[in-house]
Amino acid sequence: MAARRVKNFDVFSVDGLVDALLMEVAALLENFLAHKRPGIIDLLGLPLSAACLAALEERLGEGEIAVLLRVSGESHIRETRFPGVWWTRHLDETGRVVALLIEVADVPEILRADPVDMQHSLRRLGEATNFSLARPAR
Amino acid sequence: MTAGDENLGEMLARRGFGRRGLLKFAFAMTASLALPPALAAAMAENLAAAKRQSVIWLSFQECTGCLETLLRTDSPTIAGLIFDFISLDYQEALMAASGSAAELTLRQAVAANKGKFLLAIDGSVPVADGGVYSLTGGKSNVSMLEEIAPDAAAILAIGTCAAYGGIPKAYPNPTGAVGVEDVITDKPIVNIPGCPPIPEVLSGVLVYFVSFGRLPDLDERKRPLAYFGTTIHDQCYRRPYYDQGKFAKSFDDEGARQGWCLFELGCKGPTTHNACASLKWNDGTSFPIESGHGCLGCSEPDFWDQEGGFYTSLAGGAGPGWRESGIAAAVGIAGGAAAAFAARRKTPEAQE
Repeated sequence: MAARRVKNFDVFSVDGLVDALLMEVAALLENFLAHKRPGIIDLLGLPLSAACLAALEERLGEGEIAVLLRVSGESHIRETRFPGVWWTRHLDETGRVVALLIEVADVPEILRADPVDMQHSLRRLGEATNFSLARPAR
Repeated sequence: MTAGDENLGEMLARRGFGRRGLLKFAFAMTASLALPPALAAAMAENLAAAKRQSVIWLSFQECTGCLETLLRTDSPTIAGLIFDFISLDYQEALMAASGSAAELTLRQAVAANKGKFLLAIDGSVPVADGGVYSLTGGKSNVSMLEEIAPDAAAILAIGTCAAYGGIPKAYPNPTGAVGVEDVITDKPIVNIPGCPPIPEVLSGVLVYFVSFGRLPDLDERKRPLAYFGTTIHDQCYRRPYYDQGKFAKSFDDEGARQGWCLFELGCKGPTTHNACASLKWNDGTSFPIESGHGCLGCSEPDFWDQEGGFYTSLAGGAGPGWRESGIAAAVGIAGGAAAAFAARRKTPEAQE
């Protein structure tokens, strides 16, 4: 799935766009602190050139956490030097970027183990236990 | 192949595909559909709870190119997941059944999913002479459409032929080809034009329908706004050359080699609504303009019969080329129709 990318040529000043996005991030952070409501910015949906994206990534910098997800291709999630602000890059199996996000949250939603998946874990652990108990009786 | 009772979340979990994968898919889809990314969590939740969506696909007056290109979405990418979300209950080119067994399959699929299935159509509907120019099992396309459409939840007209009549409708249109919307007027219809259409657009529409239980927002030609809201020109990477007045004058001049704008070589990008320039083709490799050829405007009605043909500069709109070609044509009209035609053909030179 290719993600939509709007006009990707330089028509705006890089610094101006980066400053505007950082102000947006600050607003989302403020909102999260007040209401615990996560915020997300879809960077592929904005008219950002490669230079602008690189400048934004550099301004946000690198923080303490970097996570690699392996699900339908890799996803790279890392905290920026601003705790609670995450730079998320989802790739498909061919390595193409399918989503590029700035997430504002204590933990990005995709990192949480889902209760339904945990139920499956419980069942599978049970099956594994029964299997190992059954072995000596053979 | 009928849709079972199991929901998509359970089905995927059984195959070791957890909610994280579904959420990632939803992020990719919200980006594709130009939806707010905050909707991704709700989309993933709704998809997990949804049942497989029945799709009945009828092929009318078509070349099978639409089906060919859409099947290519089954590449090993995240987009391939869409095939887990639908139950393709009837498709003549893909199913094993034939003859009376196929006809029975169709009747059963319609009865089992009455009011719920999506009816996908590729190909135009020939209506001249009682629709005799395209028959399946002795039934005309138009009678099949009129019989099955009332039981569908909505209709997806896939490709320019199903949407607007397409190439079969080209002058002099001997079979009386029309688009689906000319025959069925009382059902929700989504047009997904293109010759062929972009696979991701169909995936996007299907996922939106399965996730939110309704069709996405459409433009005045019933096309999904998320993909057809802008023109090829607006998204084109060569647009800065247009703005700077740098145009290729022939397919092998210095401008063409420099990758300048193809407007004067007949590119229909400025009047064509589609997402080729952003979604691209062949797993994101390129799109026609990137390969050095102007846009033909294949997702617009009657693109085959457009005035002047594929290699004549657009005779309308603002921007370089138009003003001069208009003046040239006006001068030509004074000197006779043939001269006007010649003047328009000479538009690139008139620019210099």
